[in-house]
Amino acid sequence: MPPTTPPAPVPATALQPWLSTAGRLLLGAVWLAAGAAKITDLDASVRAVRAYRLLPETAAQVVGAGLPAVELVLGVLLVTGAGVRAAAAVSAVLMLGFVVGIAAAWARGLRIDCGCFGSGGELAAGEDPAYALDLARDAALLVVALLLVRWPAGRFALVKES
Amino acid sequence: MKPRSAIVRRGGPSTTTVVAVLVLVLFAGAVGFGVYRAGAAAGALPAGATAEGVAVGDPDAPVTIDLYLDFQCPACAQYERQAGATIDELVASGRARVVYHPVAYLNRFSSTDYSSRSSAAAGCAADAGVLPRFAQLLFAHQPPEGGAGLPDDQLVALGAQAGAGPDFAACVQEGRYAGWSRSVTDAASRAGITATPTVLVDGREVERTAEALRAAAAAG
Repeated sequence: MPPTTPPAPVPATALQPWLSTAGRLLLGAVWLAAGAAKITDLDASVRAVRAYRLLPETAAQVVGAGLPAVELVLGVLLVTGAGVRAAAAVSAVLMLGFVVGIAAAWARGLRIDCGCFGSGGELAAGEDPAYALDLARDAALLVVALLLVRWPAGRFALVKES
Repeated sequence: MKPRSAIVRRGGPSTTTVVAVLVLVLFAGAVGFGVYRAGAAAGALPAGATAEGVAVGDPDAPVTIDLYLDFQCPACAQYERQAGATIDELVASGRARVVYHPVAYLNRFSSTDYSSRSSAAAGCAADAGVLPRFAQLLFAHQPPEGGAGLPDDQLVALGAQAGAGPDFAACVQEGRYAGWSRSVTDAASRAGITATPTVLVDGREVERTAEALRAAAAAG
């Protein structure tokens, strides 16, 4: 061990663990909120997936019923910081799927709610779809997830990553 | 500060971590799907009902009107006020039969799953042969969104007011048609209904006005 103190790290490097932590907590919190809103009504979650008219019936049931629990698991992993890179990679795949689904619904002129936070995909009468907002949010979260795949290491993580 | 020792893997997390995360994610999804399928058992059907809804009126009427309603939905109550008389008239004249689909889409707008409870109670009203009147009363007494919905006692009282017999109370209280309500809701979702009210005349969606309904029924 040299007795001299190491040179001060460049700011970007010092900041990175904190940015990764913030991104992890943000993405994890969104997963927890989305999963918690949906898990109490799996029927509604399946209806929301059906409303996109993209998947065959069985696939819609699997995705609709399985997604809320998956979202909660991803949320817990990201917030506690366990397996961040793998959880972020799965998150990125899901977010990409959501972006494609919402864009497809918009392009085909469907009038649905994205069902992201626990509606059955039904719009209330007089309510308009919010596709642009939904797309912007999910695309931003996709970027966060991809950044976490590249730089998963952060503060307060249960499991250290390189 | 950066770990530079030789044991740090440069290729990312260990394979074990990745596999563990994937297994956990797939397991969670499988549990969700299992829970969903386990609850899918359908119960008894109300008298004259199918798994999709309840038909009212002359079965040989030339026109079929499908009404997809949620008793928690304000636009449905509004539609009932606006077009209810027209519907009654079309049924009474033998021009149309009406298929009620009391779906439970809006459970998130009450703390007691009022959409499901009122939908199941509609099954009890169908048993008693008083569904149209009961539906009118439910809309006239529609609880606000975000509240606790009408208590079962009040559903029972409204059923009695609609003319249902003594069995109605037990039917509501035991949730006899909860399974049927679920199947009606699921069938509507499979039919691509994503908003309430949705009104179909002979399978075609019509605008939510009495005039549009009258015109479509006259043409149909």
